[in-house]
Amino acid sequence: MNIQDNYLKNKKNIFFSDNKDIQTHRDKLINIFENDRFDKKNNESLKNINLKNFIDFKYKYLIPEETSVINNNQENSYSIVSVNGQCSSFKDDKIEITKILDEDYNDFSKNDTIENNDHFVNLNSLFLNSGFKIVIKKNNNIKIKISNIITDDNLTIFQKNNYICEEGSSLNLIEEYENKNNSTSNILNVIKLEKNSQLNHFLIQDNSPNHNLIITTHSSCKKDSTYTQKVYNFSEGYVRNFHYSELIEVNSEADLQGIFFLKDNNTSNNKTFVKHLAEDCKSNQVYKGILNDRSKATYFSNTHVDQVAQKTEGYQLSKGILLSENASYFSKPELKIYADDVKCSHGSTIGPIDENAIFYLRSRGMSKIAATKILISSFINEELSSIDNEQMSEIIQKKLVRYLSKVK
Amino acid sequence: MNSETLNTLDSYSKNKYKYGFVTDIDEEKPKKGLNEDIIKFISLKKNEPEWMLEWRLKAFSKWKKMKEPKWANLSFPEIDYQDIYYYSAPKGFEKKPKDLSEVDPKLIETYNKLGIPLEEQKVLAGVAVDVVFDSVSVATTYKSELEKLGIIFSSIGEAIQKHPDLIKKYLGSVIPAGDHSFSALNSAVFTDGSFVYIPEGVKCPMELSTYFRINAENTGQFERTLIIADKGSYVSYLEGCTAPKRDDNQLHAANVELIALEDAEIKYSTVQNWYPGDEEGKGGIYNFVTKRGLCAGKNSKISWTQVETGSAITWKYPSCILKGDNSIGEFYSVAITNNFQQADTGTKMTHIGKNTKSKIISKGISLGRSQNTYRGEVSFLRKAEKARNYTQCDSLLVGNQCGAHTVPYIDSKNNTAVIEHEASTSKINEDQLYYCRQRGLSHEEAVSLIVNGFCKQVLQELPMEFAVEAQKLVSISLEGSVG
Repeated sequence: MNIQDNYLKNKKNIFFSDNKDIQTHRDKLINIFENDRFDKKNNESLKNINLKNFIDFKYKYLIPEETSVINNNQENSYSIVSVNGQCSSFKDDKIEITKILDEDYNDFSKNDTIENNDHFVNLNSLFLNSGFKIVIKKNNNIKIKISNIITDDNLTIFQKNNYICEEGSSLNLIEEYENKNNSTSNILNVIKLEKNSQLNHFLIQDNSPNHNLIITTHSSCKKDSTYTQKVYNFSEGYVRNFHYSELIEVNSEADLQGIFFLKDNNTSNNKTFVKHLAEDCKSNQVYKGILNDRSKATYFSNTHVDQVAQKTEGYQLSKGILLSENASYFSKPELKIYADDVKCSHGSTIGPIDENAIFYLRSRGMSKIAATKILISSFINEELSSIDNEQMSEIIQKKLVRYLSKVK
Repeated sequence: MNSETLNTLDSYSKNKYKYGFVTDIDEEKPKKGLNEDIIKFISLKKNEPEWMLEWRLKAFSKWKKMKEPKWANLSFPEIDYQDIYYYSAPKGFEKKPKDLSEVDPKLIETYNKLGIPLEEQKVLAGVAVDVVFDSVSVATTYKSELEKLGIIFSSIGEAIQKHPDLIKKYLGSVIPAGDHSFSALNSAVFTDGSFVYIPEGVKCPMELSTYFRINAENTGQFERTLIIADKGSYVSYLEGCTAPKRDDNQLHAANVELIALEDAEIKYSTVQNWYPGDEEGKGGIYNFVTKRGLCAGKNSKISWTQVETGSAITWKYPSCILKGDNSIGEFYSVAITNNFQQADTGTKMTHIGKNTKSKIISKGISLGRSQNTYRGEVSFLRKAEKARNYTQCDSLLVGNQCGAHTVPYIDSKNNTAVIEHEASTSKINEDQLYYCRQRGLSHEEAVSLIVNGFCKQVLQELPMEFAVEAQKLVSISLEGSVG
C-alpha cells in the first residue's frame, strides 16, 4: 500500500488529524513523497536499507491496555515503562510528564533549520500516533530510565518525544530498546537544552532480528549547555541512528558518540550532524563499528560551522573493524566550514584487526579467537570505561560478551 | 584580527590577473550551438574517418538524454550549450607548419608574454612542447627525437589519422562517453588534444608538455588527451594553462585518459591558471574536467599532481582505477581559491586488484569570498585484498568570508584492506606568523612562507620544469602580500 492511501485510511487514528495547520503541513509532506520517491541512487542516506519495509508497510497501532508505570523509588530518580510509545501523565515539583500536544508538533514543523529532507522524519510527522513530553524543572538534578515496550507483533509505532531541560537543570537519561517482536518503531526525540543545563543521554539498543528501529534526535543547545549522547547498538534487527545537534548559543557543547556491533545479514545506518551557529562552541562526533558476517553499515558525520561561529572546535572520528570478508562499511566524514578561526578535523579508518597485535598475543600462548576477542574489547575500551554508571556498565559488558561469543 | 591582517587580506583581493591579454588572429568559426551538423562539421574539418564521426554522434545522442551531475558544492547560472562556439581554429592552420619558423609570429609572441618562449624551450631543458592554441595543434617540437625511440607524441587528430588501431582500442576505454554529461559532451565535440604512446620498455627521456590556451571569446575548449604507457615504460607529462582576460564565462570540458600497462608508470602534472574572473566574480572560466587513469597491468603506477589556482569554477576529480595487482595510485593537489572562485576538486581511488595502494594528499587554501571543497572517494572492492589507502586533506582559511569543505566518501568491502583518512581545517597559525615576524620578515613574506610550507608536500612532487612556475603561481594567487 502506498503512503498516501495508507495515510488516508488510518487518518482517524493519527494524532492531531483535526488540527488544520498540521493537516496543511501533512498535505505538503504527502506531496513530497509523491514527487520524490525514495530515490536510492541520489540519496546516500538510504544506502543498504530494505525500503519495502518502510514504504509498503501495513499501518497497525494499538492503544495499550496496560498503562505505563512511573516509579519514583529513590529521590531524584525515576523509572518509566513506556508501552507502545505511550506514557501516562505525571507531575511533581521536579519533573512533568504529559502527552505531546498540538503545539509541540507545530513547534517542530516550523523548525526549518534542521534538515527537512529526511524521509523518515517526514514519515514520523505524517503517521504520528504516540509520544510524550518531559520537562525537567529549573535547577534540578534528575535521573530517568525509560524502558520501551511494544505489546504486539506487526505494530507500526510513530512516536515523538519532547524533552525540555530548564535552566540550570541536569538530566541523566537512559533509554532501553529491547524488543522481541516484529514491529517497526520510528521515534523522533526533540531535545531543548536551556541555559546552563546538561543532558547525558544513553541509548541501549538490543532488538530481535525482525524489529526495525528508526531513531532520530534533534537537540538544540543554548548558552553554556552540554548535550552528551552515547549510543550502544547491539541490535540484531535494522537500526537507523540519525542524530542532529544545533549549538545555537555561545559556549555550548555537543558530544555524539556511538558504537555498533553487527553480525549476520544485519545493516545499520548512522549519521551525526552538528551545526555550529554561535561562537566558542565545541563538538565531538565519534562512532566505532564492528562488523561481522555479511553485515553492512554506513556512517555519515557532518560538522557545519556558520560564518559567525568563530573559535569553534569540532572533531570527528570514525573507526570500523571488518571481521569478515563479506562485511562492508561506508563512511563519509564531512566538514563544511564558513568561519576562519576554527579548529576542525576528522579522522576515519577502516580495516581488519591488526595482525601484528594478534601475532603478539598468540606468541604469548593465546588462541587466535581469544586474541581477536581481546583486541575487539580493547578497540572500544575507551568508550566502555568512560561509563560512570555501574549498573549500565554491567549491562553493556554482558551484551558485549554475548556478541563476542558469536565471533569465530 | 589586527589591521595589518585586514590590509593584507585587502591586497589579496585586489590582485589582478597578469595574463589577461588577447591575441589578434583572424579566427574561422562556424555558428554557435550544438547539433549534429556542428559535429559533422568538426569531423569534416579534422578530416576524420567515418568511424570517428559515428563515435561522436553516438556520444552526442547519449548527451542529449543526460543531465549535468549535481553532486558538487557549486553554484553557477545554467550553461547554455547553444550559445557556445564548438570549433574555432586560427586561419591558415589547417595545413600544419613543419617547424616553428612557419608559425604565426603573433602566436609565438603570446607565449613569450606568458614566459614560455617556444624557441628557448626548444633549445633549453629538453622539453618537447605540443602547443594547443585554441583548437588546433600549432607546433610540435622534438618529434623526431621521440620518434627514434618509437614514442608517439602528437595531436589526437593526427593520431586518429595515423594510429587508428590504438585510438579504436583505447579511446573511451577509461572514460566511457556515457559516463556523465561532460564526458559525453567532450566525446561528441572534442577538437584537439594530445596523444602519447610509449612503447614497451621505453623510458621517455624528457618531460612531455602541452600548453593549452583558450583564445577566442565564447569558445569552449574540449580537449581530449590519451596517454598509453605500454609494458615497463615510463612517461612524465606536464599540462599547464593560462587564459586571456574575458568578461563572458567560458566553458572548458576536457577529458584525459591514462592507461598504464604492466610495470608501466605515468606521472601527470597540471598547473591550471585559467582566468578566474575579476574581484566582483564577473567572468572567468568554467572548468569541468574529467581525468581518469587506469592501472591496467600488474605493478603499474599512475600519479596525478595538480596545482589549481585559476578558473571561476573548478570541477575536477583526477582518479585512478587500480585494476592490476600491486598497482599504485597517487594524488597530490593544491587548490587555491580567491575572490568569488569556487572549486570542487578531489579524487577517486577505486581499488580492484590485490595489494593495490593509493595515497592522497590534498591542500586547499581559501581566500576572499571563495568556496573550496575537497571531494574524494576511496573504495575497496571485494577482491582488493591487502589494499591500502592513506588520505590527508588539509584546508587553510584566510579571511572570514570564505568556506572550506571536506567531503570524503570511504567505502570498504574487504576485510583485509586498510584505510586511513585524516583532515584538518584551520587558519594560519598566529604563533607561526609571530615567529616569522620576530625574525624580521614582513607580514606578507611570513604569510607566503607559511602557505608555501603548507603546500610543500605537494609542490615537491612536481617535476623541476614545473616546480618554479607552480611556486610563482601560488605566490601570484596570494599576490599583494606574498612572493
